[in-house]
Amino acid sequence: MKGSRGSKLPVKRCAALLAAGMALVGGSAHAGILDFYNDGKVLATPGVSMTDGAGGGGITPWATITGYETRDGINGNVHYTYVNLPNYSLNSLGASVGFYDRVELSYAYDILPTGSTFNTIGLAGNLVGGLLSSPTLGPILNSLGLTNGNQLVGGVDPWNTTIKMHVVGAKIRVIGEAIYDSDNLIPQVAVGGFYKWNENKALLETLQSDKSKDYEAYISVTKIFFPLSTLLNVTGRYSAANQTGLTGFGDDHKMRVEASLAYLLKKDTAIGVEFQQHGHNADGKNVTLGGGVDLTTLVNNPTLGPVLSDLGVNKGLINTLTQKESNWYDAFVAFFPSKNLSITMAMAYLGNITFTPNQTGFYISLQAAF
Amino acid sequence: MKLQMKAIAIAAGMLLASGAAVAEDKVAERTDGKTPTYPGIPSDSLEAFGGQAGVDVWVDDLFYYILADNRINQIFKSHGHVERQMALNKELESMVLGGPNHYSGASMSAAHAELGITVTQFNAVVEDAYLACDAARTPYHVCNQLIAALAPFERVIVTR
Repeated sequence: MKGSRGSKLPVKRCAALLAAGMALVGGSAHAGILDFYNDGKVLATPGVSMTDGAGGGGITPWATITGYETRDGINGNVHYTYVNLPNYSLNSLGASVGFYDRVELSYAYDILPTGSTFNTIGLAGNLVGGLLSSPTLGPILNSLGLTNGNQLVGGVDPWNTTIKMHVVGAKIRVIGEAIYDSDNLIPQVAVGGFYKWNENKALLETLQSDKSKDYEAYISVTKIFFPLSTLLNVTGRYSAANQTGLTGFGDDHKMRVEASLAYLLKKDTAIGVEFQQHGHNADGKNVTLGGGVDLTTLVNNPTLGPVLSDLGVNKGLINTLTQKESNWYDAFVAFFPSKNLSITMAMAYLGNITFTPNQTGFYISLQAAF
Repeated sequence: MKLQMKAIAIAAGMLLASGAAVAEDKVAERTDGKTPTYPGIPSDSLEAFGGQAGVDVWVDDLFYYILADNRINQIFKSHGHVERQMALNKELESMVLGGPNHYSGASMSAAHAELGITVTQFNAVVEDAYLACDAARTPYHVCNQLIAALAPFERVIVTR
């Protein structure tokens, strides 16, 4: 069908991808990477980089393919995102590439310093660890599985606990056209996935998560409504992650909904809001010390309980160290001074993260495109 | 029995496919009427553009930018009759916004059939369209009504 958007044969596209790869590897002087470079997308239409590194909004991936390339080429970008919360700060550094406005690959490295947030766990661990040398209490603790020395608490380094996580992502645009199909309601649809691995296995065990690495899969549906100067995205993410994986993963993947709504004030300026449904794998859990023994087990032990209570390891401490996870919201302003740079600033309203509530803070993300 | 069912299914599939191939893109192939967008283009959009006179100025600005745009100007120049292209665009842009004047040109697919236009080139024109709105001081949200009205033509203009 003449003019049909699918008129470029997949074979031709695969051949082009293969040629691009060979040019990179073979280093042919003439068929260089510049032949594949394209920055033809209209300003702001690829979105920005979300916290897992994929193209989209601030926290949710969209059906748009990252990079300014149209189906005529390849484009890529790097990004840095910083979120400043009362008890944590997130630094996310990443890069992504878009191939022919069809396939996207991304990588992000999240570094989350937690300051002194987990110091209370360390203190509790030290306190209980001290009791191991007691002739009466030591054996009881041993029988519960606590046998190490004072370093009972895994992964917690007082005043220095930093969570680190790698994320690789891939996305494929499946059907639809987000921008030019203004005469129908068919959106652009993409499916994608992330594989995440967290470096702090010990800390994640302490926080009672089931895994330190896991995958996520998602489907995103995006459309721009030009008469309203508005972009709408809805994403369904199949995930078991706790706080996007930063505090580990549960056992059970569930479908979670995410949405972005962006209003274009100008061709280079957008405001909007986002929502991200979170799981509750860790809700109600506190922390484990050593051999998988959590505080509740210790406090409920008939012999240990009273002694620990006198020392401050009691229901009050359990309350302090009980985890909860909230849905995420953000309200943002995104500015696109050129195709080479975007600046997104937002209020991140993240609720409960592990034991700390009211995690509301400032978000800024810079994306530089080639 | 199973083989017969398979044959019927294949025949039905081919019929559907051929039907789909033949079915027209009514909105992109048309040569009159306001573009039926979701949501609809407000009835005062042409007026917000400054009426036909405002559209005329905008088209003049558009072609100023197109002819200054080295990514695409040679396409327009080699096609020739730039003045006629401008005159037809003035009719078309007003038509898609629901204007009363008649568009006397060819359909967008016929007009672009032999040109091998890419998405990259089409987007370049969109960028120049936004520059034209800036130059004519057409408000961004009014400009987006025109972009929405013209957008479906992308499906037939882009052939490469």
